[in-house]
Amino acid sequence: MIDIKNLVHRYTIWESDTKKSKKTVLDDVTLDISPGQLVAILGPNGSGKSTLAKHLNVLLLPDEGTVWIDGKDTKDAKALWDIRSTVGMVFQNPDNQIVGTSVEEDVAFGPENKNLPSTLIQEKVADSLRAVGLLHKRKSSPFRLSGGQKQRVAIAGALAGTPRCIVLDEPTAMLDPAARKEVIHVIHKLNKEAGITIVLITHHTDEVVGADKIILMNQGHIIQEGTPKEVFDNFELLKKVKMDVPQVTELAWNLARQGIPIKTPVLTEEQFVTEMMRIYEDGKNREDC
Amino acid sequence: MIRDITIGQYYAQDSSIHKLDSRTKLMGVLIYIVALFLVKNPWWYLLLFVVILALYRLAKVPYGYLLRGLKGIVILLIFTFVFRLISTPGIPVAQLWIFTITGEGITKAISLTVRIALMIIGASLLSYTSTPRELADGLEKAFGFLEKIHVPIHDMAVIVMIAFRFIPILIEETNVLMDAQASRGVEFEKCSVWKKCRNIFSLLLPLFLSAVRRSSDLAMAMEARGYSGEGETSRMYPLRYHSGDRIAYVLMFLFLAGVIVMRVVNIY
Ligand SMILES: Nc1ncnc2c1ncn2[C@@H]1O[C@H](COP(=O)(O)OP(=O)(O)OP(=O)(O)O)[C@@H](O)[C@H]1O
Ligand SMILES: [Mg+2]
Repeated sequence: MIDIKNLVHRYTIWESDTKKSKKTVLDDVTLDISPGQLVAILGPNGSGKSTLAKHLNVLLLPDEGTVWIDGKDTKDAKALWDIRSTVGMVFQNPDNQIVGTSVEEDVAFGPENKNLPSTLIQEKVADSLRAVGLLHKRKSSPFRLSGGQKQRVAIAGALAGTPRCIVLDEPTAMLDPAARKEVIHVIHKLNKEAGITIVLITHHTDEVVGADKIILMNQGHIIQEGTPKEVFDNFELLKKVKMDVPQVTELAWNLARQGIPIKTPVLTEEQFVTEMMRIYEDGKNREDC
Repeated sequence: MIRDITIGQYYAQDSSIHKLDSRTKLMGVLIYIVALFLVKNPWWYLLLFVVILALYRLAKVPYGYLLRGLKGIVILLIFTFVFRLISTPGIPVAQLWIFTITGEGITKAISLTVRIALMIIGASLLSYTSTPRELADGLEKAFGFLEKIHVPIHDMAVIVMIAFRFIPILIEETNVLMDAQASRGVEFEKCSVWKKCRNIFSLLLPLFLSAVRRSSDLAMAMEARGYSGEGETSRMYPLRYHSGDRIAYVLMFLFLAGVIVMRVVNIY
């Protein structure tokens, strides 16, 4: 689906009117994402996550290395619109990415740009809004929606382009906890039910425990890649790059360090409870005999 | 003040007026304004007022909205009224300090003020019953012939759309900025006009910076969704005349013809 080889990206920084310098933001990034996966990209501020995301939608081009989307090189100008309809994009600030003055108008923006027939557009808009659970709000003004709803509209907007992959760049960063849950739920649903490949960029570690793969970035490098279990097992590395970990994970890890035979990493509260119960039962059994 | 602005407020309803093509409604507003300028006798404004009331009713827009549109131009209305009142020559009926109020002045003042007010009320109905998108599309179609002489009508329509989309956001942002500055001791409500201007200027810079940031974000989001600024695009709801539009056009032209006849025959 997405194949990145030795990607390097440098931003030009104008120090003064005449003097410019290059800042390397992505350094030799190699990455492979297979179809249907839910991949989370985790990393502290300024680690290059957004820059990487923009490469997936050809909003930026590599300075070195290559990005292939579905086998198409992003440097190939002819493939541009193909790639953009393969990969949909959702950004952090919902207010700055909603174009339409009503919900359905906004969702229709992508298909309209593709010059599709009206009936097909109406179908796609209805389907996309249904998928994010906002069909009843189709005539509303985006301005009147809650943050979580706005972000779901943005997801529907990406979805209406019938992409096979959606890249979400910190879609929950400006939302409250309830809205975050609602958006993450929709993302998981799209991945499970529609089989859409998801690249979820975030710095909330609790949002990534359900991912198939986590990519941990720091200062333009991928410093770790693996399942949530593998990544959270390396607790010290996460702490070193100043990432928060879910509370239960941290608690379990600290307990383990105190000598309690808890199996780390613990990712969810349920897991923590079962783990504690197991230890309790074990302890009781040992006392019994 | 800024908090009261209600431009581009669509009032979602399922009514026969909402269903009309925006071009029909644009024509309707045009005819209504022409009619306002054609009538001579102030009493006729009453009839025109009844017409617009009926249209609001038909559109299922509450009458409270009638006044909302006027709120923004209250000063203009008062100014027009007073100015006409004291500056029309004729038979004096009252003397206020150095100003003479004439009988003609009273009639003129009332009719001019009412005319402006009705114009705004009529135009507001258009914006209550058509989404900005429909309006932009309508204007685009109506002025599409200008593309031939290289006036970028399509681009303008997109710009108008986005402007409408961002008006409420920027208004809200202004309110936040005003509150933020007010909480640090800046007064917006109770101070001299001069100071007010200076304070408002201090809002403009952050507002401008944020607008620039927003537009660069938006440009990227639009590009990601396939907007290129060129090439054919389609519409989810293409503008199309229905039977309702035909009826509306007939009624509108009958109405206009009636007003013209009235004017020419000069009865009343
Ligand atoms: N247009 C640009 N010009 C110059 N430098 C930039 C530009 N965009 C980003 N940078 C710099 O590149 C680095 C990586 O930015 P990027 O936005 O990719 O990080 P990020 O991981 O998304 O961070 P965040 O969590 O804050 O969103 C940062 O140091 C940033 O200052
Ligand atoms: Mg970012």
